[in-house]
Amino acid sequence: MSEVIFCLLFQLYPSHFRQEYGDEALQLFRDRTHNETGLWPSVRLWFDLLADLVISLPREYCYKRPDIATAPAKTCLNGTPTFFVFDTASPGRRPLLLGGLLSLITLVSFPRLMNEFGNFRPPSGWSFASPGAYERQGGDPQRPASGSEQGVQSPRGANPTLDATSRHRIIASAIASIKQHHIDPLEAQKAADALLAHERQGDDDSATSTEEFTRLATKQMREATGDHQLELLYSPRAIPERPSGPPPALPTAYRDEMRRVNCAFERVEILPHNVGYLKLNAFPDTSVCQATATAAMAKLNDVDALIFDLRDNRGGFPSMVSLIAAYLFDHPEYMYCPLENTTAESWTHSPVPGNKLANKPVYILTSPRTISAAEEFTYDLKMLKRATLVGETTAGANHAANLHAIGDNFYVATVEVRAINPYSKYNWNDTGVDPDFKVRAPDALTAALRLVDKRLHVE
Amino acid sequence: MPKQKLSPLPSAAFQILLALVGEDLHGYGIMRNVAQQTEGRMRLGPGTLYSSIRALLEEELIEEVDHPRDPSARDERRRYYRLTSSGRKLARSEAERLADLLRVARSKNILRGDYV
Repeated sequence: MSEVIFCLLFQLYPSHFRQEYGDEALQLFRDRTHNETGLWPSVRLWFDLLADLVISLPREYCYKRPDIATAPAKTCLNGTPTFFVFDTASPGRRPLLLGGLLSLITLVSFPRLMNEFGNFRPPSGWSFASPGAYERQGGDPQRPASGSEQGVQSPRGANPTLDATSRHRIIASAIASIKQHHIDPLEAQKAADALLAHERQGDDDSATSTEEFTRLATKQMREATGDHQLELLYSPRAIPERPSGPPPALPTAYRDEMRRVNCAFERVEILPHNVGYLKLNAFPDTSVCQATATAAMAKLNDVDALIFDLRDNRGGFPSMVSLIAAYLFDHPEYMYCPLENTTAESWTHSPVPGNKLANKPVYILTSPRTISAAEEFTYDLKMLKRATLVGETTAGANHAANLHAIGDNFYVATVEVRAINPYSKYNWNDTGVDPDFKVRAPDALTAALRLVDKRLHVE
Repeated sequence: MPKQKLSPLPSAAFQILLALVGEDLHGYGIMRNVAQQTEGRMRLGPGTLYSSIRALLEEELIEEVDHPRDPSARDERRRYYRLTSSGRKLARSEAERLADLLRVARSKNILRGDYV
């Protein structure tokens, strides 16, 4: 036991000293404990050791090794910076572990702190789908979280407490906004009636926090209308109104970025057994990327099966969704898009001349990062039974609703387009699109290849 | 000439040099000799002992030897140290310096008796 304590104390010395004299020091300690038995000699031994530790420890840390202390300053080699290393041994497991842990904590806490105390937003060039896409049409990038993300609406403790008067004021403003902006006046009236009825019945009385109240009001409106885009939100930070009128022209930065990343067509390959593989990380604007998309689909024209890898797809433009989907049908097919009114343009321009992919099996790889326009592509092809989905449930965000400020940092999200969804009552908003074959996203490609192989082999 | 680390010679280093006069010793042997020659007043702990040994080795006042002069004292697990000629010279000059001091102290009659 005493030897263990001594070893622990000796660990306090610098590594170079431990390496050089560790064994000898331990031997010295053993000799002393062996020869100095009895209570008083033992006490004296430990007193000596502790006193020695106090005296010698600072000196050892100030010690400069002669090879380093007397070494001439190193010159740079071809301008490359050089470093002096004060320890010849590699760091041990413990310092490496501690260093790793510290780095991890720093990495995790930095963005969180930036989020809490700063007003940092990445430049628009960082995003694949900036203007004109789901993100713009669906509202502002600063849109407060909705649905399951409500917990991040505002910093903890910053939300005001709501009394009956303030709740009534918010309800009145929300009703006015819904009536003004909602596409369907009947639905708007239903939402308004529901809000007022619940208020009268005292159902809102317990909702004194903004989080509780927004959740409750949203539930009431959705139950009454069946409109799952309708939402009351609170944001402690003001959200600028989206400018009205036609969307502005695409910025040059977006065009440059798309050119740099090959329009997000990361990989266009033909895998063994003639399986086409397209890794697409966004659905870029067709006015910029139509040629790239056409070339990619032409390259894959002769494959026996096609895999769309959308695991890292961050969304984009409905026009590109429609353009790519057109290759998968031999007749015009309706592509439901919650962002746009249903028009003639909602049908794909199928058949595409010379295209051979219309009857080939299609697989889509999904992950929780698959979002927005990528979810539209996935949802529509799933509903049309045109693709097999492999991976994990998608993010569940269609960005279809517009936000309107109603005062006191409250906002109402309403859908202002009339898009017909012939497939289902609800789309993927909040819930995401479930895969047909649920596997971990990293394993999705392997699983899909296995399915392709099985299918082609059987056929 | 670079300034020597052991100038002035620390008490522990001087005691180690004295302990190594006439015999090659390992760490514990040095510690024990120092304790004896100081009548138990100085018991070197591992930190002080080995940092002093390292300084003396760097100044080439002592050296590490594979085989101690006394074969019966040899223990394969230990490192033995021997006084070098420059170490002996330094120990002598330090002793002479202390002797000079002693003479001065005597002349000032600050010592009781004449046994020192």
